[in-house]
Amino acid sequence: MKLYDYELSGNCYKIRLLLSMLGLEYETQTVDFYPGREHKSPAFLKLNPLGQLPVLEDGGEVISDSAAILTHLARTYDASGMWFPAEKAAEIKDWFAFADEITATSSAARLHDTLFYDLDIDAARTGAHRLFRQLDEHLWFAEQEGQSWILPGVHPTLADLACFPYVALSEDGGIPRIDYPAIRRWCDRVKRIEGFKPMSGVFPTSRAA
Amino acid sequence: MTPNLTQWHPIASSSDLPLRHVFQGQLWGRELAVWRADDGFVNVWENRCLHRGVRLTIGLNEGRELRCLYHGWRYANRTAGCTYIPAHPADAPARTICNNTYSSLEAHGLIWAAIEPGETFAPPALLEQGEPLALRPIPINAPAELVREFASTYAFGTLAEQTDTSLTLEADGTSLMLFAQPMDAGKTVLRGVLTPAPADRMAALREHNKAMSALRDQVEAVAATMEAPEPVAVPLAKIDADLASMPERAKPGPKTELRVTVAQKWKVAADVMAFRLEAVNGQLPTFQPGSHIDVGLPNGLSRQYSLTNGPGETDHYTIGVKREPESRGGSACLHEDVKEGDVLAISAPRSNFPLRRDAVKTILIAGGIGITPILAMAQTLHAQALPFELHVFARSKEHVPFPSLLDEMGKQVKTHLGLTAEETSATLTDILQGYASARHVYVCGPGPMLSAARELAAIAGWPEDAVHFEYFKNTNTIDDTSSFEVALARSAMTLQVSAGKTILEVLQENGIAAPSSCEQGACGTCLTTVLEGEPDHQDVYLSPGEKAENQKMLTCVSRAKSKRLVLDI
Repeated sequence: MKLYDYELSGNCYKIRLLLSMLGLEYETQTVDFYPGREHKSPAFLKLNPLGQLPVLEDGGEVISDSAAILTHLARTYDASGMWFPAEKAAEIKDWFAFADEITATSSAARLHDTLFYDLDIDAARTGAHRLFRQLDEHLWFAEQEGQSWILPGVHPTLADLACFPYVALSEDGGIPRIDYPAIRRWCDRVKRIEGFKPMSGVFPTSRAA
Repeated sequence: MTPNLTQWHPIASSSDLPLRHVFQGQLWGRELAVWRADDGFVNVWENRCLHRGVRLTIGLNEGRELRCLYHGWRYANRTAGCTYIPAHPADAPARTICNNTYSSLEAHGLIWAAIEPGETFAPPALLEQGEPLALRPIPINAPAELVREFASTYAFGTLAEQTDTSLTLEADGTSLMLFAQPMDAGKTVLRGVLTPAPADRMAALREHNKAMSALRDQVEAVAATMEAPEPVAVPLAKIDADLASMPERAKPGPKTELRVTVAQKWKVAADVMAFRLEAVNGQLPTFQPGSHIDVGLPNGLSRQYSLTNGPGETDHYTIGVKREPESRGGSACLHEDVKEGDVLAISAPRSNFPLRRDAVKTILIAGGIGITPILAMAQTLHAQALPFELHVFARSKEHVPFPSLLDEMGKQVKTHLGLTAEETSATLTDILQGYASARHVYVCGPGPMLSAARELAAIAGWPEDAVHFEYFKNTNTIDDTSSFEVALARSAMTLQVSAGKTILEVLQENGIAAPSSCEQGACGTCLTTVLEGEPDHQDVYLSPGEKAENQKMLTCVSRAKSKRLVLDI
């Protein structure tokens, strides 16, 4: 299994997290996203015509789009079925759409601030805050019901992994999380999932009590 | 809006603070790091590590200490004092290294705080009446006064009371208190509390969340049409008064400036009593594992005892005192005269026996009552899950102090009972075999055992700087017949030390603020840097290597071989 990877990409990080949490062996091939724009090179466009990271090669299959890769890995390698339970498939896909909105706003703000992308930074930040208000409210009520994750149940799902990276990296894009205490607590819980790995800008937390 | 910094506001809900989390809050422009220790205590600190200014909210709540993520400095529960600096693993941090804290109180499901101490605070009497329910707090991008104005129109019964910080609405026997917490000039958190808590908790939470969110949208729409207020100007932190003023002229001798109550006195071994000491007023100072205090006794004597507390146990000090059969008045007085409820005078803790937390493995060896500083070290290593073993030597099972604390640490603790001197040496030889880099051993116990352990460690290849020890007392016969001259480089004074007087006494007679504690060359408190001359070392604190270097000396017993010493005082 080979992951076409860029260290600073939150979307690649989603895949690295699940691979680690499932305890899977894999190799990585670094793609020079910045400044080389290797993801727009002819060679890479043959792998993914959309020119986006990540891409996973598994057996003969080539899969792009982080949500599609997460789903493939959970279906193929998660014997417990906990990461992508069939009865929650529709809800999880709803949260994939929510995660894409987070990418379009929080990740965009981060690209602007750290990799000098030219885009409407105010719109990106305002949009991220609107989504974080929704997510914080959702997670606050989940806590009140005794739940830890985005979807009810004892085990986290792909919904948590799809949303986590660009929430946890939001401060790189000038989006503080001081107004979202339930999101901050949920980030601690995600960091305590067995197999969790930090990345640049996502810090570890302490052991649970 | 002028900030009223002594005004108390709710700044978090109790449910915001699960164990091992650091909550990020804000009041009057100041960011807050709020964390609950494993003992339940809620700490409200300035959100800034005093070392490099990094936010403590990205730090790690380890239950007893908060660790800054940047350079790993650790700060104690309650006191906010620094307990460990990884870049200086062999040294105890100065007691003055302390993060800024704010006055705070947890009551009725909320955490209340004020930026500056002022008025004594009691939560609203209304909340005392029943078990209140804290609603989901709603951050709002608008000034607090605008939020308060809109809150008075909140659709819930009738307005019963309005104060500077809150308003109370009443409907059908239920009261709703709304608080506008000023995060900054243009930012507010709207907090609500229902009293009594309604039967259908979730329904009430959802209903009010919906109504308060709608109120937020209204207020924000209005605020967006107004000019954004300037953020609250936050002045640079003030210098600690102790650092800004000249210290008072020192009084000689150990300083027992703290008053503590003996909250509990109990037996922890055949001849050992433990004392739980609680502050009469305020907060006890920060301690590090291996620290000791001077205890001023009712009979006028002063004695040194190690703190046995684990990390984060900052609401009291515990000491263990062995009844010495040949007591010179210290242990006899504590065992026989001091009762629960008595007030004692103690000094702030000093750490002359610091614990490194970067060892690959730590071996702790305690003989008898020598367990006391070692117990504090073991609990620290245990809480941080660092590898260690603790060897306790005692006459019999009944003579092992603090057995319940030792039990909690499980199989890392090994006891060696009733051994002869030869058997002790053989056991120590086993324990000390196999020195490897980054291993450290700490020994405390009776003089002969300590000397044996140090010799055996040297034979087994342990370098001197990996062997740490603390003697209870100096049994050397002190030769004080020499007379010599002492020049004080910083104070620009030259003093004569005549036979029969110690350097420390001469310093103190001349008004030099020289710290001291045991005054017999055991504890290391009066350790001083030697710039010139050859000291005549008579202490048991320095290692042979340190003595040979002649760069440090203890002024309470050591003297001069040369005619003149130049000290860095």
